[in-house]
Amino acid sequence: MSMEDYDYLFKIVLIGNAGVGKTCLVRRFTQGLFPPGQGATIGVDFMIKTVEIKGQKVKLQIWDTAGQERFRSITQSYYRSANALILTYDITCEDSFRCLPEWLKEIEQYANSQVVTILVGNKIDLAEKREVLRHRAQDFAESQSMVYLETSAKESDNVEKLFLSLAGELIREAKQNKLDNSDAAPTLGEGKSISYLGCCSIN
Amino acid sequence: MPLPVPDVPASRRLALDCRTILDHRVGKGVCGCCGALRPRYKRLVDNIFPEDPEDGLVKANMEKLTFYALSAPEKLDRIGAYLSERLSRDVARHRYGYVCIAMEALDQLLMACHCQSINLFVESFLKMVRKLLESDKPNLQILGTNSFVKFANIEEDTPSYHRSYDFFVSRFSEMCHSSYEDPDIRTKIRMAGIKGLQGVVRKTVNDELQANIWDPQHMDKIVPSLLFNLQSGEGVESRSPSEKEKESPVELTERCFRELLGRAAYGNIKNAVTPVLMHLDNHSLWEGKTFAVRCFKIIMYSIQSQHSHLVIQQLLGHLDANSKSSATVRAGIVEVLLEAAAIATSGSVGPTVLEVFNTLLRQLRLSVDYELTGSYDPGSSIGTKIIKTHGERQLQEAVIRTIGSFANTLPTYQRSEVMLFIMGKIPVPGVHPALASSGSGPEGTRMIQVMLLKSLVQVTAGFQTTNMLTALPSSFLEPLLSFSLTEDPEVRLLVIHILLSLIDRHDNRPKFSTISIISDISVLKLKVDKCSRQDNLFMKKHGQQLYRHIYLGCKEQSSGRQHYENLYNLLALLSMELANEEVVVDLIRLALALQDLALSTEESMPVYNRCAVHALAAAYLNLICQLTTVPAFCQHIHEVIEVRQKEAPFLLPEDVFIEVPKLPPSLEKMEGEVLFLQSKITEVLGGSGYNIDRLATPYIPQYTDDDRLSKRKSIGETISIQPEVESRNSPEKEERTPAEEITFETLKNAIVDSVGMEEQERERRRQVVEKFQKAPFEEIAAHCGARATLLQSKLNQIFEITIRPPPSPSGTISSGYGQTQSRSVPVYEMKFPDLCVY
Repeated sequence: MSMEDYDYLFKIVLIGNAGVGKTCLVRRFTQGLFPPGQGATIGVDFMIKTVEIKGQKVKLQIWDTAGQERFRSITQSYYRSANALILTYDITCEDSFRCLPEWLKEIEQYANSQVVTILVGNKIDLAEKREVLRHRAQDFAESQSMVYLETSAKESDNVEKLFLSLAGELIREAKQNKLDNSDAAPTLGEGKSISYLGCCSIN
Repeated sequence: MPLPVPDVPASRRLALDCRTILDHRVGKGVCGCCGALRPRYKRLVDNIFPEDPEDGLVKANMEKLTFYALSAPEKLDRIGAYLSERLSRDVARHRYGYVCIAMEALDQLLMACHCQSINLFVESFLKMVRKLLESDKPNLQILGTNSFVKFANIEEDTPSYHRSYDFFVSRFSEMCHSSYEDPDIRTKIRMAGIKGLQGVVRKTVNDELQANIWDPQHMDKIVPSLLFNLQSGEGVESRSPSEKEKESPVELTERCFRELLGRAAYGNIKNAVTPVLMHLDNHSLWEGKTFAVRCFKIIMYSIQSQHSHLVIQQLLGHLDANSKSSATVRAGIVEVLLEAAAIATSGSVGPTVLEVFNTLLRQLRLSVDYELTGSYDPGSSIGTKIIKTHGERQLQEAVIRTIGSFANTLPTYQRSEVMLFIMGKIPVPGVHPALASSGSGPEGTRMIQVMLLKSLVQVTAGFQTTNMLTALPSSFLEPLLSFSLTEDPEVRLLVIHILLSLIDRHDNRPKFSTISIISDISVLKLKVDKCSRQDNLFMKKHGQQLYRHIYLGCKEQSSGRQHYENLYNLLALLSMELANEEVVVDLIRLALALQDLALSTEESMPVYNRCAVHALAAAYLNLICQLTTVPAFCQHIHEVIEVRQKEAPFLLPEDVFIEVPKLPPSLEKMEGEVLFLQSKITEVLGGSGYNIDRLATPYIPQYTDDDRLSKRKSIGETISIQPEVESRNSPEKEERTPAEEITFETLKNAIVDSVGMEEQERERRRQVVEKFQKAPFEEIAAHCGARATLLQSKLNQIFEITIRPPPSPSGTISSGYGQTQSRSVPVYEMKFPDLCVY
């Protein structure tokens, strides 16, 4: 067992209108549960999960933000250091879809320019109440050059896929760009500056 | 959810141990002494863990480990690494008892070792804290935070460049927002978050080589997290006694917030305050005011006082940015400004004093525009939001109070500057149309006039100056007095208020707030200083103007009880503050002239005003006779008052200035003993050395072009004549009495030789002008002579400009008196006032 218990560390931030199911997506992925009657998130929530992709351990720090307007200033401050953003809307709520351009504007303003953004339409279990057709969202995502995925936190549809594919994408990016901040500027505790620790992590 | 690391089987554990031995070799290079399978430090570490985690840290063995670490500090890093490795494993295996023990050991080692090698040890230590913070178990989060706080309190002697606190700031901020179901645990987590943030701040704030905690990326997390906790505790007052002993989250937050602000240097204030403004915006906390005020009170009291003007500036900037927000939001910001200004010390306004007032005045004008147009956008007729007049009114009041609050922090000379600045902003219809509010017409102009005068009332409140002449330059006094002649009673009253606060320097003002006949003024305990030379000069220069404005103020039909009370106050204060013998004589003449005014049948004054003027004159004469302490004078006044008490109580303040004045239906012709007699007063005062000639001359106020101009202003006609030009005429036409005619002539004769034909010609013309002006004076009284005066003033203006370059009226009058020939100023500039005034 190595001193570091992961090969990669990525920060993922979930954003989107209030009540679209961001917290449920995170809970489903990290704890495998669907908490019915989940209250509104206050400020920010934090979860961690380590996954293995092609033999590499990837630690995902997941910051789940409040959708409510009043917490906007604190949530915005979390975009900056994110490696990936999951922009979520509710397929049964036209409003949450209409707000997407606003969210993209926020991303533009606050997030790192290299951030990976993925668009997620949640609550496909409520297909009979669908207000946003799949191809509309697909077109919108394409126009913004984002990947689009539809999920159901309740039925656990595509949730695993969402995070795993995101992790895969992030690894690809990290390998492509060795200077990516997670390598170049080791954050506290993941520092590689101590030589013998480096040796030790070979096995 | 804990990490999905499988339990490590025993065989693997052995392999691990072997590997650590290998590391040891690698790290040390060639190491010959590895007789034992496990190195000594590992055995020492292992020994501190008991068989049963319930037993807690094995104290004796911990001491051994500490001793070893101290004697062999080069091993410290490995001890740390090994301990943290064990701890990771224990976290993964949910063996929380051992986790706590490992953490305790790490803490103790950290505390024990203040040496350079602590740096490497810290790496593994923080890795462990991080590990604990990543857990979703509240206990581990709190455990990790506590250790971090202990670490934060250690001062390291060597900086570490590569350490980053991003994760800690993010995680602690997140913990501050914890929404854990159990409220007790939630509170604990939140408090841990606050303490953690405090730790990060302490650790980094003084070290320039470390992460800059003041960067917006950190401040935008830390400040809202603190404010959230400060705010969420509001209204939770009912705590049990046992809880009261402990520090509540709100108290802790406040302490932490204060500490943060107290450490902020000049350049960091902005980054710390900006998130506060954003938080208050986002949570709509301006409307409620109390929390916003509380926040800024904390800020103002905590930051270094020399930085307080930065906060004020940011607030002002925020107010401007919110120009189109609802009135309640703006009022909230203004309210905060008011409180902040009160806290800030005298330097609070900073280098840009006028900018502060400019912003506030701009807000005032915007608010008036909004109120009148009913829209935030003057261009469009359809307002997107419905503007509530009530809200705007409250905002205006708040702005005015804030202006006063700021002014109170200023030294006298800056206050005078501000007074002039505000005066310059008061719109005069027709004269400075550019300054009038846009698109809200005469009503808007009037409202702005009133608002700005109210601001001036605030600014002048408590204003004390030793030198009236410099504190009240003509450029301020003249426009102010011109406002006192408008037909608007509210404006007139405000002007008197301003004059009162400017003149009162010994807090005598409250003693005369109501009119009454005081039989013995010693009960008032008046404070009087001897009149200084500057005061005498001031009265010489502006006395006549003041008298005239009091006289005309009494004459206005729209004057009510408040007006008379304040005019009385003004007269009383003039006698207290600025009276020399000459002024006393003039004031007595003025009082007698007021009596004549009330008796006059030419004026169409209502009964109430007549009685009020009588009462005012009586009350004032009663006061001044006691101030002069001339017994015969006092006796005459008392006799008249006594007669009035018996025969005509409606001529005394006690019957007039009450809720329901007891007035006769009409005033018959009064004579004899109910009236104060000029001849009698002259006689008794003459015996005491007062100037009889002057006393015997009745006071006759004259309308000047200036006055007529302000009359027109109030009516709203648009004639662009500069008041300055006109006002030059005012002193010269003051005194046109037989007694002065002599002085006038003498002086004229004395100067004739040195003055050329020009001057004589001018004099002649001026007399013609005066003659003409006499006639319009009556006509105006009958409200029918506007055109003639208009022509007259035009003529006069042209005449003035062509004859001589416009000197400042103040300069000529004050210096001209008594030292005419001594200065090398063009001759007719100097002579003119001499001729006119005396």
